[in-house]
Amino acid sequence: MILDVFAQTLLEYLSTPLMWGLALIGVGIGIVLGALPGVSSTMALAILLPVSFGLDPAAAMLFLISVFVSSVYGGSISAVLVNIPGTPGAIVTQFDGYPLAQQGKAGHALAYALIASTVGGLIGLALLVTLAPVVAQAAMSFRSPEFAMATVFGLVLLSFASGGSTFRGILVAAIGVLLGMVGFDRLTDIGRFDFDSRALQAGIELVPVTVGIFGLAEVLRNLAAGREGLPRVPPIGRLLPPFGAVARLWKPMLRGGVIGTFVGAIPAAGSAIAVALTYAQEKRLSRTPETFGTGEPAGIAGPESANSASVGGSLVPMMTLGIPGDPITAVLMGALLIHGLRPGPMLFANNPGFVAGVYVAVFLAVILTLVIGFGFMRVVAQIMRVPRVLLFCTIALLCVVGAYAIRNNLIDVYIMLFFGVVGYLMLLLRLPPAPLVFGLIMGPILEENLRRSLILSRGSWGVFIERPISLALIAASLAAVLAPLAVLAWRRWRAR
Amino acid sequence: MTGPKLTATLGSLTLAAGLALTAAPALSQDYPDEPINIVVAWPAGGGHDTVTRLVADYLSEELPVSVVVNNVPGAAGANGVRQVEEAEADGYTLGVMGIHATAQSYMNENATALDAVEPIAVINIEPAALAVRTDTGIDDFEEFLEYARNEPGGIVNGNDSPGGFSFLNAAFIENTFDIELTKVPYQGYAPTVAALVAGEVMSATLPVPMLADLHEEGTVRILGVAAEDRHFRVPEVPTFKEMGHDYVVTDYVMVFGPAGMSDERREVLETALMDAMSQDGFVERGEAMGLMLNPGDADAAADLLTQMDDLIYPIMEDADLVTVRER
Repeated sequence: MILDVFAQTLLEYLSTPLMWGLALIGVGIGIVLGALPGVSSTMALAILLPVSFGLDPAAAMLFLISVFVSSVYGGSISAVLVNIPGTPGAIVTQFDGYPLAQQGKAGHALAYALIASTVGGLIGLALLVTLAPVVAQAAMSFRSPEFAMATVFGLVLLSFASGGSTFRGILVAAIGVLLGMVGFDRLTDIGRFDFDSRALQAGIELVPVTVGIFGLAEVLRNLAAGREGLPRVPPIGRLLPPFGAVARLWKPMLRGGVIGTFVGAIPAAGSAIAVALTYAQEKRLSRTPETFGTGEPAGIAGPESANSASVGGSLVPMMTLGIPGDPITAVLMGALLIHGLRPGPMLFANNPGFVAGVYVAVFLAVILTLVIGFGFMRVVAQIMRVPRVLLFCTIALLCVVGAYAIRNNLIDVYIMLFFGVVGYLMLLLRLPPAPLVFGLIMGPILEENLRRSLILSRGSWGVFIERPISLALIAASLAAVLAPLAVLAWRRWRAR
Repeated sequence: MTGPKLTATLGSLTLAAGLALTAAPALSQDYPDEPINIVVAWPAGGGHDTVTRLVADYLSEELPVSVVVNNVPGAAGANGVRQVEEAEADGYTLGVMGIHATAQSYMNENATALDAVEPIAVINIEPAALAVRTDTGIDDFEEFLEYARNEPGGIVNGNDSPGGFSFLNAAFIENTFDIELTKVPYQGYAPTVAALVAGEVMSATLPVPMLADLHEEGTVRILGVAAEDRHFRVPEVPTFKEMGHDYVVTDYVMVFGPAGMSDERREVLETALMDAMSQDGFVERGEAMGLMLNPGDADAAADLLTQMDDLIYPIMEDADLVTVRER
């Protein structure tokens, strides 16, 4: 039934030049905005929201969803080429994408990311169409205790995955968690660590930190390398990877897609946790875990697939329960409301045509992103050939603009500059910067849910072990920390 | 951002220099000649954001310039309100606020005192409601009270963090009916609804539009609406007044500017806003969004502000939230 309506709507959209024209424009703008450091998917949507007012609801949804889906891929372009994640979900893409680009294989890295995005996007959509109510049910069994433990698990896995020792990773992640506590206490609305300054009271924004710690730090690293600069990037040889290399990645893409959809469907979890889980998992399952962080294709394909699949996942709570799962779907829902449509439990029953429209929009957006992505890949990859001086001046400029634009406030520029220096120092100390950003993202979720669980359980910590999912997450986190120690102890014992 | 400000500064300099009477009408024709920014103190997609974008859409038809919505979230809305307070009072930076601004002014040293802003127009009011999960077996408000009296703290209610509207609403119920709820804070309305649907909390003190669909579908039962009149989204649900309780608690959304705006400019904005809100399409679309539209001019806005202040100050005092500024 739903497939019939889907096919019908798809045909209808394809036969209306306005519709696919809108999707095309949306995808084009989305890729560019997503690639700009500092413009997250949320901001891209907020910027374009007024444009959608003049359109009818179906066209508006098509346009906005096109922007949403394509900005997810756009975010990985800057991650691969200049080591700055354009969107938070692209943070792990750069672990392997950037090294690959530095080896002269920017095209390969972008192709892995693009193909994985497409596969993940389609998996997310397929699960959304077929299993939305089931996925919603599963996501609803995630409550405060599970959220708290899921963030612990995510942080541990990420510290494990982001290169260097797990303990260094955890140390950096803990600093990130502390940074997330600056500003209003999320449960009591009382300011903390803000030194009575108005600027810090609103907390530390994610974007200036990300842009500074990855982008500006990279600029500083190149400056410090002196006039000769870092080793030159070899010329781009073959743009696309051989077909066999891509086909071999089907497993990481499939796993990433499924994880991404489910994690995306959990309200507030978001793509950051999805990509962290996928990356760590691929590293564990790999026969050659040591290649991760040096340009391993599976390290790009898995997380990229998860990142795009989380789009479909994040639409689940919106379409089934009328609740936005994350800030991005919140903007989509706002757009629906302004157009007089209320997404919610009644929407499926009352308006199947509209629901099919959303599905078709995701489908068109995924396919058009693939087409446009490949069409312009050669042009985009040329960024690697831009003279370094010019490239890094532009990046520095974009860092400043991106940080300022988030709240139209100079304070965020200072914060960006500060974290640029911090990021550079961390490079010198060989501390991985990514866990800091993940700590900042997940710290507030962790604290809020941990404390709320304790309010609900009236102070009993038992709540975390009584619930099966939460208990499993604790066990998995402990195993991740203790396993390397156990292996070490075992080897020493054997050596005796 | 300096563009409009610079021009506006030049504009006010002209005003200062040329106090000649002929200058005045010329000036009011000059205003507005730059885009007008409306600051929303909450993230894109939220309640304040959507209503403001709707108003901005119609307002830009009434004015010769475009109207841009800026989201400046943070510190429970205090951040955005302060950005407007500190902006130049030239009529190019406006803001939208609700009861959060009143609450923050008493509990946050860095928040804007309400006499530092100037109300321009009211857009809508947002009555509170009380809803329970259907599977609690609570059928009406009397049963709710009975449950809470038999088991103090036994009702687990989802609400904002202290100072938010649904928190104030829960605190108001506790004070007025002398009961005790376990108030569990969530970051905003959407997570509270999620918690109610998932069964993590038993009740929620949210506004009607968030709950109406779930009420129709049967997961949730709205026990009463804390307004003078019934809410058009759920006409079958009685008001608490009808049940004989003096329980009227509503949030509001109003447009304001920094204090010290010139009367002419404020009037230009006030007229344009009132005209925008009286367009047919506006009312239709606003009601489709579930808004209780209540357009009012600057005087009405000032009155409403005082009225809300009178309502929530005692609640905040009882909840020990008046910490930095007394009345």
